[in-house]
Amino acid sequence: MNAGLIGAVVLREWRTRVFKRSFLLGTLLLPIVSIGFMVGAVMLTESSEVHNVVLVEDAPGLITLRDAVSGQYVPRCPSCFPARDNLSYHFTREAPADSIWKRQGHTVLVEYDDAVLQNHAGYLVYDKSPGASAKRRIERDLSRAMEHARVLQSTVLDWSEYQRLKMELTLVDKTIEDGQRVNGGGDEVRGTIGFMFSALLLLVLLVYGGVIMRSVVEEKANHVVEVLIAAVRPEALLLGKVLGLGAVALTQLVAWTLLSSMGFIVFQLLYDSGAVGTAASVAAGEVPVDLLTVMGENDVLGHLLNINWPLMAAGSMAFFIGGYLLYGSLFAAVGSSVQSEQEGQGLTIPVTMPLLFGYLAATMAIENPDLPILEWLGWFPLTSPVIMLVRIAGGVAIWEVVLSWVLLMLTARLVLGLAGRIYRFSVLHDGSRSGWKLLVQWVRGHGK
Amino acid sequence: MSTTLQVTQLEKAYGPQKVLDGVTFDVPKGSIVGLLGPNGAGKSTLIRSIMGIVEPDAGDIRLSGRPWSREAVQGIGYLPEERGLYKDMRVGDQAVYFAQLKGMKKADATAALRLWFDRLEVQGWWDKKVSDISKGMAQKIQFICTVVHRPSLLILDEPLSGFDPINARRIIKEVRTLAEEGTSVLLSTHDMPSVERLCDQVVMLDRGRVVLSGRSESLRESGWDGTQEVLFKGTDMAFTIALGALAHLDTSGPSPVAGIRKAKIRLREGVTASALLSALMQSVDIVEFIKVRPTMESLFIGAVERANTTESTPAS
Repeated sequence: MNAGLIGAVVLREWRTRVFKRSFLLGTLLLPIVSIGFMVGAVMLTESSEVHNVVLVEDAPGLITLRDAVSGQYVPRCPSCFPARDNLSYHFTREAPADSIWKRQGHTVLVEYDDAVLQNHAGYLVYDKSPGASAKRRIERDLSRAMEHARVLQSTVLDWSEYQRLKMELTLVDKTIEDGQRVNGGGDEVRGTIGFMFSALLLLVLLVYGGVIMRSVVEEKANHVVEVLIAAVRPEALLLGKVLGLGAVALTQLVAWTLLSSMGFIVFQLLYDSGAVGTAASVAAGEVPVDLLTVMGENDVLGHLLNINWPLMAAGSMAFFIGGYLLYGSLFAAVGSSVQSEQEGQGLTIPVTMPLLFGYLAATMAIENPDLPILEWLGWFPLTSPVIMLVRIAGGVAIWEVVLSWVLLMLTARLVLGLAGRIYRFSVLHDGSRSGWKLLVQWVRGHGK
Repeated sequence: MSTTLQVTQLEKAYGPQKVLDGVTFDVPKGSIVGLLGPNGAGKSTLIRSIMGIVEPDAGDIRLSGRPWSREAVQGIGYLPEERGLYKDMRVGDQAVYFAQLKGMKKADATAALRLWFDRLEVQGWWDKKVSDISKGMAQKIQFICTVVHRPSLLILDEPLSGFDPINARRIIKEVRTLAEEGTSVLLSTHDMPSVERLCDQVVMLDRGRVVLSGRSESLRESGWDGTQEVLFKGTDMAFTIALGALAHLDTSGPSPVAGIRKAKIRLREGVTASALLSALMQSVDIVEFIKVRPTMESLFIGAVERANTTESTPAS
């Protein structure tokens, strides 16, 4: 194929789209909307945090005692109810009617009876839900207070001794590689990273596959295509179109990444300066919790660092190219066989099915990136672009990545040839018939 | 004279239907060959076979004496009947793009296109979008895109459709100039007057077969049935008597000029025009004595009808 001609087609596809107002608008709008969404989400979260005043009706008197000075009920274990910004407790043995405790400024009532120690259940009564996280905190605080009460009832344990004896076991993952034990685990972290890459790839393949299909339909409608394929081989023309639109996709992705990164840096600076978000509360004396600390505590960072990032980057690029060529050709073939975009929508469903199936399989990788089904789908070219990114994140031998990619590229080359054939026949087809039957006919080289 | 395009025994079938059935013809260098035929005669399939869009089942196509190749096809200027431009591109960018696809470098293409834009007086449209220009203007741009790389062979499928008479005449002039400069032209059209004005040769197709071909002048000459148009001063009676046994009188009546009569006659076999003229001049004043040769249209219709008759006559 003549590289110069393909280059001219690529350049035309790229230039006519990238210098369009709609492209510039879309490229600028997405980062702005994303940043705006993030700022909005932060502000919304902060403005929506409700202060919950909880009235605990400790009818059996398990966790409270009357303070001799104030006459108020107070917790036997004050440390079980740590001071929090959005949660405070009051205690009683006999709650008043609902209308009264609400009028007293309480938002939530907790009640239980003597059986609580056997059935481990009580009631949370409210007008408006305190929210899932507040409910979890209340449950945790009360569970701890009741544990404290049971320990006090025990004749052999005291609270400090119980705290000392109590233990939670942590299992640290070790995998065997080349007969050696190395740090493992972090399946969820690695699976999630791989899944995120796969999801992004899927999005790009679907969006730009649609663009390719529309472009082919437009070219047929414009009657430009007969002039074009008289000058350039249909396969070369199709390759140029797919590569050109791929370059448009890459341009947009790079622009989004740069603009989003700049936007996030600006947002971070504003956040740190207190112009946005909760920096004020940090200044008020709370200990700021930075992400790296949290990640370090959870060993997330360690798992992230365990990912073979150079292979991940190279694999993402390679499988993006392969997947894009394969699905771009398929979408182009669909575009060739129809007279309008609407008609094409129906035909794209079978094309996208393997991709969506791969995506569903990739969601399983969040739990376990080493599932056998993922291995099989990684060899299958129609699903490998989505699956292999998950497998690379989970850890896979390089030869498997290379072989899977070679299979993908060979299939893409084959499909590109068939799509070119379909494209050529489609020029001669001026009827209203379309559909899979016609496509198969063209692939076999029949039909006008 | 060397041959730019040589088509020999070309065959193509779609399923049981033969679309091209042993088509053979040449396009000599610098000549304009008209490709004629009713709808469905196989003209488009023939052109697409030459352009490599359709793969023929049998036969041979040679370009400038060499076997058909994709590279050789790149040198052809092709203006299909169903043609268009990208609506969202600027006219100049689009013309440069098409020229690049024909193997021209960008700088050369731009320079050549500027000359052609001046020549066809469309220079002011270089930066306009195609969606902003008229259909006639778009047709001119398409014509420029077809010829800008100075092709050795031009294939024009209905090149004048969409043009007003003034611009049609301009395009005809350009095609003729290109032919004089050595470009060979294969012109497919239903527009018979343009075939008569332009074409040195014609190839007539019907149901995939060549039913008539040759030099336009020769065909019209050989198709002449002895018809003459005579403008004369005198009486119809004297004119008819003078005709005698030399010719049939087809029609006779007044001409647009007062006092002058007009008659259409057909020479009998073996009678020469000069013998008839001498006889007539003894009885009436001859103002004009014109040989009426058949039009391309009548030749075309006659050839198609003859082909149909031959096909429908059962073999004895």
